Amino acid sequence: MNAPAPKRLWQRFTRTRVGRSIFRVGLPESNLERSQAMVSSFLLHVQPAKVHRHALRASYSLGLGLISLYLFCILCGTGVLLMFYYVPSTDKAYDIMKDLQFVVSAGLVIRNMHRWAAHLMVLFVMLHMCRVFYTGAYKNPREFNWVLGVGLLLVTLGLSFTGYLLPWDQLAFWAITVGTSIAGYAPVVGEKLKYLMLGGHIVGQDSLTRFYALHVIVLPAIAVLMISVHLFRVRKDGGLSRPDEPGDVVEQIPLGQLPANKSYGLMELARGTTPQVGKNPEDEVFSWPHLVFRELLLFLLVTAVVLFLAIFWNAPLEEIANAVHPPNPAKAPWYFLGLQELVSYSAFWGGVVVPGLLVTALALLPYIDRKRHGVGRWFARERVVANTIFSVCVAIAVIFTVIGSLFRGPNWSWVEPWKNPPAVTEGH
Amino acid sequence: MNDSAPDKVTSRRGFFQLAFGWLAAIFAATASAAGAVRFLVPNVLFEPDQRFKAGKPDDYLDGAVTFLDDERVFIVRKGNTFRCLSAICTHLGCTVNRAGQGFHCPCHGSVFDDQGVVKSGPAPRPLDWFSVSLSKDNRLLVDKGRRVTDDKYLVI
Repeated sequence: MNAPAPKRLWQRFTRTRVGRSIFRVGLPESNLERSQAMVSSFLLHVQPAKVHRHALRASYSLGLGLISLYLFCILCGTGVLLMFYYVPSTDKAYDIMKDLQFVVSAGLVIRNMHRWAAHLMVLFVMLHMCRVFYTGAYKNPREFNWVLGVGLLLVTLGLSFTGYLLPWDQLAFWAITVGTSIAGYAPVVGEKLKYLMLGGHIVGQDSLTRFYALHVIVLPAIAVLMISVHLFRVRKDGGLSRPDEPGDVVEQIPLGQLPANKSYGLMELARGTTPQVGKNPEDEVFSWPHLVFRELLLFLLVTAVVLFLAIFWNAPLEEIANAVHPPNPAKAPWYFLGLQELVSYSAFWGGVVVPGLLVTALALLPYIDRKRHGVGRWFARERVVANTIFSVCVAIAVIFTVIGSLFRGPNWSWVEPWKNPPAVTEGH
Repeated sequence: MNDSAPDKVTSRRGFFQLAFGWLAAIFAATASAAGAVRFLVPNVLFEPDQRFKAGKPDDYLDGAVTFLDDERVFIVRKGNTFRCLSAICTHLGCTVNRAGQGFHCPCHGSVFDDQGVVKSGPAPRPLDWFSVSLSKDNRLLVDKGRRVTDDKYLVI
């Protein structure tokens, strides 16, 4: 046997009584063991023993959902570490940021990782949504998983917003001020909602405590629950979307019409596309090692990129919160700059109506666009109308974000980024 | 209950059991949710008093518009008249800056004139004017809880 030393060691360990009691299956040698390895492991059993070749194509999924999941895991890990130092107090929060930066071992890198992973997660969740749209993957039977995805996008944005409030720097203070004021424009419940968010009339300790609770437990718990259902549904809806093949469409028995005087096995009730019945086994490969190793590789890649960013670039920290003067200009992080540009025209239309309609349209999309064609291919020709409408919306969002990022200077006035910004001469 | 399927006739007892069960469940869920939301609405606030003393009238120069940092207001003196203008932008709550004769908001670019009237930008209404009175010890007394129209002056 000329297997490398770690492999031999592992094999010997899994053959011992203790090793076998923990892992059941050692390193798989046969196809049977490859299946068993997936089924008997807690972490791996979430995935099927065999996957369709199409699901492994990096050029199809681009791994965007998985990258988002990994970023979420990194955020949970670094976030829990940060909680060991952070105190949600308006007097202490900012000083603790400075401590993390200058005093705590690895504090700077861990905070940087947390911030950059958060930015990347917003980006990759958005990209993942675009991928799912352009491949028509939200169509039957995956409609509800798309809706969950829209919810997860909102939770991700909520986590980011509540997260950058915690350092209690200028960005934090004025983001709470502006953010809760936008909520105040909501019809009927607006003012009450603002009072509830702030825990009073002014931005202060009560507001910070509330956003802290939302950031460290409420929203992460919702996210974990929704991610779990999202992944569960990926599998129950037949794995990653792919073009229809002959034999794919298995007639589904409506549950209500089953005779009641007979007992049923689970396989008789399961959704038509999940079991292997009628499938060409040539199209499927064992998840171990084909899927598992790709996933491991991607995880290492994502972690390496986040670590690289965290080592070479510091997370932003503005001056300590000044309750009198906002910075000029006071700019949100990039993913909210399109929204900031919108509210600079009208708080009600730009901050409530347009985002509200956008989210509603996104959530209803799979129930509006119901034709089952062009699923599983990028930019399918049959979907040219839908793809064009979506692309125009994405382009408008990008344009507003670019305007907010680069073309707005002091007093949110129009500036051209290639010219020097005019000096701010006004004051009190 | 007029159930159309003859083999699914609901008995009176069955109907009441079902109705009562559902009502109890809905009541419990609504009450829990309402209780949780009400819990989150604070009853007592430890916020600074809306009224404050702004010093002696003579501290302010004739024709000056003076910004008071801690209170985020401008004291406007013209001759022997005094008024108090809010510095909180009516759009989304940033502090406006004095610019020329008027005011600029740094966050979303609203522009107000010297009377707090919106000249451009997203602000939906003019800046607020607050009530100014004279305390017994001859100090300006501003009440940020009382909004007044821009033609109300304290004359000394």
